[in-house]
Amino acid sequence: MVMETDVLIIGAGPAGLAAAYETASRGLDVTIVDESISKGGQLCQQTQILRTLPSPFLAMRGYELANTLINQLDEFSVRYLLGHRMIGTYKDGSIGITDETNVFPVNPKKIIVATGAAEKAVPFPKWTLPGVITVGAAQTLVNRDFVTPGKNAVIIGSSDFAMDVAIQLSDVGVNIIGIVESLPKILARDAEKTEHIMQRSIPLYLRSSIKEARGNGEVEEIDIQFPDRIMTEKVDLVCVDGGRTPILDAFYQLGCSFGFQEELGGWLPQYNEFLQTDCKDVFLAGNAAGISSQGALLITGRIPGVRVCEELNIISKQEAEHERASHWKELENLEAKLFPEKWEARLNHIKNYANPLLKDQFIS
Amino acid sequence: MDKTTIICRCEEINCEEIEEAIGHDARTFDDIKRLTRCGMGPCQAKICISLVADVIHEQTGSHLHEIPLPRMRMPISPIKLETLATNSTTFSSVKSVMDEVELEEGKVR
Amino acid sequence: MESSYETVVIGGGVVGNSIAYHLSERYQEGILVLDKKYPMTGTSGSTQAWVWVHNKTPSWYAEFSMYSAELYPYLSKKIGDVEYKRTGGLSPFFAEKDREKAKQLADSYRKIGIKIKVLSREEVLEKEPSINPNVAGATYSSIDGNVNPFRLIDMYMRAAKKNGVQYSTYNKVTSIEKQNGTFMVTSDKKTYVCKNLILAGGTWSRELGNLLGIDIPVNQLRGQIIVTEPLKPFLNYTISGLRQAINGEVLIGYSMEKAGFDRSTTLDVIQETANMAVHYVPSLRKAKIVRAFSGIRAMPEDGFPILGKVPGHENLYVAATHSGVTLSPLIGTLLTELILDGETSVPIDRYSLSRFA
Ligand SMILES: Cc1cc2nc3c(=O)[nH]c(=O)nc-3n(C[C@H](O)[C@H](O)[C@H](O)COP(=O)(O)OP(=O)(O)OC[C@H]3O[C@@H](n4cnc5c(N)ncnc54)[C@H](O)[C@@H]3O)c2cc1C
Ligand SMILES: Cc1cc2nc3c(=O)[nH]c(=O)nc-3n(C[C@H](O)[C@H](O)[C@H](O)COP(=O)(O)OP(=O)(O)OC[C@H]3O[C@@H](n4cnc5c(N)ncnc54)[C@H](O)[C@@H]3O)c2cc1C
Ligand code: FES
Repeated sequence: MVMETDVLIIGAGPAGLAAAYETASRGLDVTIVDESISKGGQLCQQTQILRTLPSPFLAMRGYELANTLINQLDEFSVRYLLGHRMIGTYKDGSIGITDETNVFPVNPKKIIVATGAAEKAVPFPKWTLPGVITVGAAQTLVNRDFVTPGKNAVIIGSSDFAMDVAIQLSDVGVNIIGIVESLPKILARDAEKTEHIMQRSIPLYLRSSIKEARGNGEVEEIDIQFPDRIMTEKVDLVCVDGGRTPILDAFYQLGCSFGFQEELGGWLPQYNEFLQTDCKDVFLAGNAAGISSQGALLITGRIPGVRVCEELNIISKQEAEHERASHWKELENLEAKLFPEKWEARLNHIKNYANPLLKDQFIS
Repeated sequence: MDKTTIICRCEEINCEEIEEAIGHDARTFDDIKRLTRCGMGPCQAKICISLVADVIHEQTGSHLHEIPLPRMRMPISPIKLETLATNSTTFSSVKSVMDEVELEEGKVR
Repeated sequence: MESSYETVVIGGGVVGNSIAYHLSERYQEGILVLDKKYPMTGTSGSTQAWVWVHNKTPSWYAEFSMYSAELYPYLSKKIGDVEYKRTGGLSPFFAEKDREKAKQLADSYRKIGIKIKVLSREEVLEKEPSINPNVAGATYSSIDGNVNPFRLIDMYMRAAKKNGVQYSTYNKVTSIEKQNGTFMVTSDKKTYVCKNLILAGGTWSRELGNLLGIDIPVNQLRGQIIVTEPLKPFLNYTISGLRQAINGEVLIGYSMEKAGFDRSTTLDVIQETANMAVHYVPSLRKAKIVRAFSGIRAMPEDGFPILGKVPGHENLYVAATHSGVTLSPLIGTLLTELILDGETSVPIDRYSLSRFA
């Protein structure tokens, strides 16, 4: 009952779909697993316009990009295992997938892990009260489930992501009481977003942080700490942006080694310029390979796709090298400009490929 | 961090309890987990992992990259026993205690 | 931290900690416990933690285990709540042919004073209604139970520290030398001098022995356990193969594989363990498994504990065993007697390392 396939991709988010295009369009037999019943990953609920995408994509909204990536696979034979998830590995290295009725092994020639990122929590007294959620959760409620999560909200954090969510909440009628940022400046790189926020007269509180939340059974009030005073606000929604970190479980079970790059989200699998981990047949893509911008993530799906084709002798070494060079060039264009520190960290990470901080995790 | 702040929401472990474990020389997430149950809840540490690292960093001054990743476990997310089970009743490496009782010349050894 | 000690214990698992604690009841100064990582990172942190007597064979080994189980209630009084529960132990069998074996087990135990009952199908189902109704019978003993291994070690450590025992963790012992009647124990951090040295390195005992040129024939035997989400209390007994912890989680597993020091879990064994679970207790079908873990048992070559003096080496002691949770109170007690009084209240000659010579 073992399922065989050339390429198994874990995660049908933008990175997984980009990797699928590289491999399936060249004729490989590709299987994509996603625990969700729909394709597109976390892109589906993103309504903001993405401006810096790699060619051939023009600026478009997040969900439009998701649809584009899905549609361009239509003409190729791709096996989708939606509502399926990877739960672990067998002794012989095959991957254990469940459809919630059974667990079965899949034995791919190559595996590309594109499991994305998780949002980090932000701790303060009573952060576990209902009504305190992550910015991503707020976005999902508003744009996917069409639920308005509150009337009066405060946003903790001022990254591009937090700003987008503030705008998206405000669009559906949530009153944004303020955006709270502990640093002396706004973190968002996209100045247009800050402008939008200003236009809507949403207050930006710099050098401030949340001191505590209060409420009986749900959040009712928060204290915002400024250098010189405390401000109390009545709210029923607190959206926190604690940053994101790569989801590593699949890599851990596959036996990959790990390193650390603060700018890319902390711990992440070791990989080389092919986006190949130190387990020979295991590749990675997307936010799992370091938190970056949407445009950059697509390219991190293409790079391992090309290498897989090369290793499976679908394309020649020259062609692969040519493709690779152009992908890296484009990645540099997209990443180095907007997030120079991420680009630095990525190059550093690749340089440290042979020196993982954590390896042989199962040997005691 | 305020001592009463919850760090592990699944197991309701607060900052003070984590700090106490660190006071007993716990240095990694897994050390703290075994002492306090922090991280053993339904989310299997997915929420508290980074919060604990921050407390360790705050208390010991270790850099975040010096605080090892916790051990990650199968199943990657929870799964029903009946889904895992293949319903076979022959076991190869799983033993029954009775099988282990050894008889010698018809007598318990 | 000083560098000169009366006694150094290498290994901060359940065995090393019990020895350190029991020693500290008798003398308060000069005890150091060294661990290459942190207590509980070894096998003691990945165990079922049954306190289990029944179906241990031969009967002299069951008797030894019984003495240790008998110490548990008293130990909890001394060091604090370790969530020890004497639930009684149930070993179900599903084939009628096993009844004869069960009866013989009960017979041979009667002679040493361990009461085992062989239960009929109806009796099993009356005691434990959740067991598969296809069960043929079970052996039952009231002395078996289980303990929370994390609490146990934490409490041993707290009590030992209160009595003055020192701990140095993340401090691996890398060489040991004997000079003028004292041991020089060199570790990652420092060299310690001591009179008595106790090797409690669990599954790493062979490696520790090598540092002194001694052969401690301990091999590795992996076990994998799966754990459910917390469920309403519904299991009354410690069943061989599964038990419910105080917080409601059910720990399931009794597997054995040779995998060296590899502590990974595999879906092969996890799925087989799931089969066992639904076969034994069908109502577990709907329960969710939230994690699996594996541990490496220290398995002495003949399967029995290695305890006591190391022949030919004055003031050198070893304690390496499987079932270390069950045996820890007794091992701690007896090694303390051996070190301080030169003899033990329960004979341990049978467990001497010399038997392998
Ligand atoms: C709720 C949420 C909202 C976000 N909103 C924004 C935003 O507004 N702006 C922004 O820049 N970034 C946002 N992000 C970050 C997001 O990671 C990226 O936008 C982008 O979607 C990453 O693409 P990816 O392909 O790497 O991963 P994802 O899009 O996250 O796709 C990963 C896929 O892998 C699947 N998966 C994971 N583990 C398994 C498994 N074991 N078995 C099977 N399938 C698995 C998941 O179901 C998911 O569909 C958000 C993230 C989250 C969680
Ligand atoms: C799956 C499983 C189920 C089990 N179920 C039960 C059960 O139900 N009941 C029961 O009684 N027993 C059970 N056992 C066995 C029991 O857990 C062990 O016998 C017991 O934990 C051994 O304790 P220990 O202190 O000897 O070993 P450990 O806990 O492994 O301690 C040894 C310590 O020595 C340290 N060490 C090693 N080398 C060095 C060095 N060079 N320098 C410094 N430190 C060093 C290690 O870091 C380690 O902490 C089970 C075991 C497994 C794997
Ligand atoms: S928050 Fe700690 S285990 Fe879930």
